[in-house]
Amino acid sequence: MQNEIPLMEWPKEGATRAPYRVMNDPAIYAREQERIFRGPTWHYLCLEAEIPEPGDYRTSFIGETPIIVVRDGEGRINAMVNRCAHKGALLCIEPCGKRKEFTCVYHAWTYDLKGDLTSVAFQRGLAGAGGMPADFDLRQHGLQRVRVENFSGMVFGTFSETVEAVEPYLGPDMAAHIRRIFNRPVEVIGYYHQVLPNNWKLYMENSRDPYHATILHAFYATFKLNRLSMLGGVALGHEGWHNILYSAASRDIQKTNYEGKGLRSVIEDVGLADSSFLTRLQEFDDGLTIAIQSIFPTCNTQQIYNTLAIRQTVPLSLDKSELHWTCFGYKDDDAELRRMRHLQANLIGPAGYVSMEDGSVGGYVQRGIAGADPSQAAVMEMGGRDIKASPGVRATETALRGFWQAYRDLMGF
Amino acid sequence: MTLLGTNVDDAARRQVEALNARYIRAIDDDQLESWPELFVEKCLYRVVTRENFARGFALPLMECASRGMLIDRVTGYRRVNVYEPQRYTHMLSGLAIERIDASRVACRQNYLVIRTMVTGEMTTFSAGLYLDKIVLDADGAMFEERIVVQESRRIDTLLVIPL
Repeated sequence: MQNEIPLMEWPKEGATRAPYRVMNDPAIYAREQERIFRGPTWHYLCLEAEIPEPGDYRTSFIGETPIIVVRDGEGRINAMVNRCAHKGALLCIEPCGKRKEFTCVYHAWTYDLKGDLTSVAFQRGLAGAGGMPADFDLRQHGLQRVRVENFSGMVFGTFSETVEAVEPYLGPDMAAHIRRIFNRPVEVIGYYHQVLPNNWKLYMENSRDPYHATILHAFYATFKLNRLSMLGGVALGHEGWHNILYSAASRDIQKTNYEGKGLRSVIEDVGLADSSFLTRLQEFDDGLTIAIQSIFPTCNTQQIYNTLAIRQTVPLSLDKSELHWTCFGYKDDDAELRRMRHLQANLIGPAGYVSMEDGSVGGYVQRGIAGADPSQAAVMEMGGRDIKASPGVRATETALRGFWQAYRDLMGF
Repeated sequence: MTLLGTNVDDAARRQVEALNARYIRAIDDDQLESWPELFVEKCLYRVVTRENFARGFALPLMECASRGMLIDRVTGYRRVNVYEPQRYTHMLSGLAIERIDASRVACRQNYLVIRTMVTGEMTTFSAGLYLDKIVLDADGAMFEERIVVQESRRIDTLLVIPL
């Protein structure tokens, strides 16, 4: 599209800058749906464990587009757009369920579990009158199919016919981390849904940002769950498209870095009356106690102590997003471990001691950038100006730069 | 639990109503330090969404399994967590009470919480059901258990003040 009028010029400083305009320009938002969400990217849709039997379905999203994921009679997982091929109505309203076929309530067009149109109400009309034209071909009016892949129990979908398979898309380190989490059968223990008063990318930045984690989230630093001085780092995948922020609470190597610095996040006279829920049960041999993985564009895997979750960010509009949390444990959890996952849920979700702030801080940015000059931009130079893994150091914005580089490449900025 | 409220005397009903009034005043008047005092030491306060509750998922938005954990939620609110100033206005209706044993009753009623921000924005923040076990004695009533079942599966922005 060489004749297209450019939507914007990216600042010459490159991925260390993100123009505020990308958060509040409707034309940019529309292009994201085309180039990112319907582009050469994979999108987390659901867990395989949520649709174990033929006919089980769950609804999901790729960007704004509503999706159905369903297991068919042969046990295969299919995904299609949740949109009747007749008038465009939603086929599945309920977020999950079990179906033999999908019938649109509007005019009863009916599809099988692969998305093929099997019947149209009154196709032959009534008493020889009306009905569809004789050459109307059901095969030409199936649901829009989505390419789907089940990777280690995470079901991904894409509109792209050309993007590589999920594993090479992730790269070896990211794929290994997913296998680490999904090392045995999981089961869902509940969901959260949180409306964020901000553009979807502000949460993508937030979840890639270890710099803020122990400053904004005072619970982390005050109660020593997570400090930048602990052993930890940032791993990157696919040239910075994806990343893992990781730390090990048992390995605080520089105890003096927080106290006495006047950081709001270390509140020295605050204690917990009942900290029993912070009992940490060692689950992984590598000793990591917190690992937040970002898979470009909008999926996170989360391990915070014994809480395990997938977070999926769905854009609702230019300045509103919805964060869907799917929390899970292992099928072989004993009662003690399952109880600890429930109690530690106090840390996460919309009411989480260490995650609630992420709900509000994006809104502060969204409101703060209103009326900004088109040349103004966020600055991300912590840890340097390049995009490279940062083993051992989390005072870095390298993963944000990786996100913005991927974003620019896809958006043509 | 049908809870038609037919087997509870007026004195017990007045104790329950007074406890609920104190609960609302503690939260809506920003006197949250007195909120844990309305619960017995070995208590359960749990906020769940209807979505999780209906499917048998115990996953809470908030769960305090002791009075100490209630106090910690107050500490989080006052000292640790970051959020925009906001206040709640509670509305309760449809109280039904049923006796469990000589000292305890089970209660059920609807709640509505309007949230008001400093910008002036008022929203229907949460509506749902309180499912309570309340201990009654000569000194008054205390919560042994309050399960808050929020009808919506969504939370707007964040939940920091208990419902």
